[in-house]
Amino acid sequence: MKKNIIIALLLVIGTIMIFSQFIYPDIRPGYGVTETVWLSEYFEPLEGTNLDTPVFIMDSGKPGATFLLMGGTHAREIAGTTSALVFLENAVVKTGRVIVIPFSNKSALSVEDESTDLPHFFEIQTKSGPRFLIYGDRRTDIKDQGFEDPEQYVHDPSGMIIENGAESRNLNRNYPGKPDGNPTQQLAFAILELIRKEKVNFNLDMHESDTPRVLTDPEGNVYEGGRLAYMLVCHPEGLEIGAISTMEMEDMGIPMKLEASSQNFRGLSHREIGDNSDCISFLSESPNPGQERIGEDKDVINDPDYPLKHRVGMHIELMKKLFSAYNLFNGVQIEVNNLPEYNDLMDKGVGYYLN
Amino acid sequence: MKKILLFILLGLLTVFGFANTEEELVFEEPVLITSGGQSPGALQMMVLAKTGGINYEFVKDVEPTAENVEPFNTVIIVVGASGKGLGAAGIDVETEIERLVELAEISKELGKVVIIAQIEGSTRRGTSSDEITDAIVEFSDFLLIKSDANEDGKFSTISEEKDIPIRFFEKTSDVRDILKELFL
Repeated sequence: MKKNIIIALLLVIGTIMIFSQFIYPDIRPGYGVTETVWLSEYFEPLEGTNLDTPVFIMDSGKPGATFLLMGGTHAREIAGTTSALVFLENAVVKTGRVIVIPFSNKSALSVEDESTDLPHFFEIQTKSGPRFLIYGDRRTDIKDQGFEDPEQYVHDPSGMIIENGAESRNLNRNYPGKPDGNPTQQLAFAILELIRKEKVNFNLDMHESDTPRVLTDPEGNVYEGGRLAYMLVCHPEGLEIGAISTMEMEDMGIPMKLEASSQNFRGLSHREIGDNSDCISFLSESPNPGQERIGEDKDVINDPDYPLKHRVGMHIELMKKLFSAYNLFNGVQIEVNNLPEYNDLMDKGVGYYLN
Repeated sequence: MKKILLFILLGLLTVFGFANTEEELVFEEPVLITSGGQSPGALQMMVLAKTGGINYEFVKDVEPTAENVEPFNTVIIVVGASGKGLGAAGIDVETEIERLVELAEISKELGKVVIIAQIEGSTRRGTSSDEITDAIVEFSDFLLIKSDANEDGKFSTISEEKDIPIRFFEKTSDVRDILKELFL
């Protein structure tokens, strides 16, 4: 009897250990989605791994530009993943094509944020009842990477060194990727393969950073964050589009900083995608209270200053500005309808726009 | 009562003084737009000039020579230091300051109007940006400043002390109309 209980217990624990890392997020595509594929269709070695991730194609059927929207490069940056879901579940593309990867690093989604004690799942109310948003980690699950972190991370091919070896699991330090590299390098390579094969014209990689709040710890040390928050980083090819977009964001009441991607800091999407394909690359940052350096009881959904609905609104509005600025330089190339307005998002909340 | 009247009189004199100084300036195209610190602000200025219909040329890190300045009537230096931008240009802030001082000197020698613009606001204020402003402000004929860059009063103080007309604006996109007003 005792033996049976132990065996059953071991089986349960074993099952949990094996399957806990595999998470398929709750995605409920809207009518605008015309095709669903997996990233491994662009790079086969990802197939069957926890780094393979769903890719949604929203094709208007009318020739135009192709835009790639990426959330979840860092899976704890939930305004990015949630904005991608809001887009997928509401948008209707009228001209051109939009490709959405809502969870770019699905492996990072399968583990909790290692830097905080925030829960892995957040329940929010939607129009069809409760739904869970996943708060993952910044990096690929070490189990999926398959080996211990090196002492230092060396970017390939530049040779740039980052002292923290764990950054070898950070998707946004691994572009342009490597087909015969480690799993995170292969993931970066697969995303670039998609961009090249689908002839993506421009993309937005949605991120979050700490907030601009000034915080004081119990010892009286003052922390001022937010260096990256409300920032649009552009590949040099996209600076004009970025300049117009940020000015339009300011006009609607959300000022954003404009930055050109660095030539020296390598491996980031906005630099390497632009350098290794014909895609004009952009990266946005919203302020996430969960990423503040100090403090407890961080509220990543309903923070009074930086609620999720505001952060999602920022990313959605920025997309609209990027579309119109892109069209300004290229003639009408992309048209997307049915995205929520910022004020409506603030009034009704994010859940109203999730199926 | 006497003091109040004196203050009002001083205020009026200041306002009219600046207005007159601005009116006396002749802003003429073509315009050379360059960066003072290699931040993306200069590019925003370029986009504003383009959409405002201004006859301009944008050379982010123009070499300070008489030949490069001569074809223009106005030179706009958009101040804002960016580590990334300076790094991309392969220079440090000291080298950038040398270039800008030389450019401003040549512009003045050739009788060009020099505008110093700060259009990125408080997020682009900092030691390096301020060093650039301080180095070239004496050559400036006109200051075009985003209001939140002046929270500490730096630019209004410069304007008063050096008697340089100043125009504040709230949003970066407001610059488009100001350029139209100045040049068209």
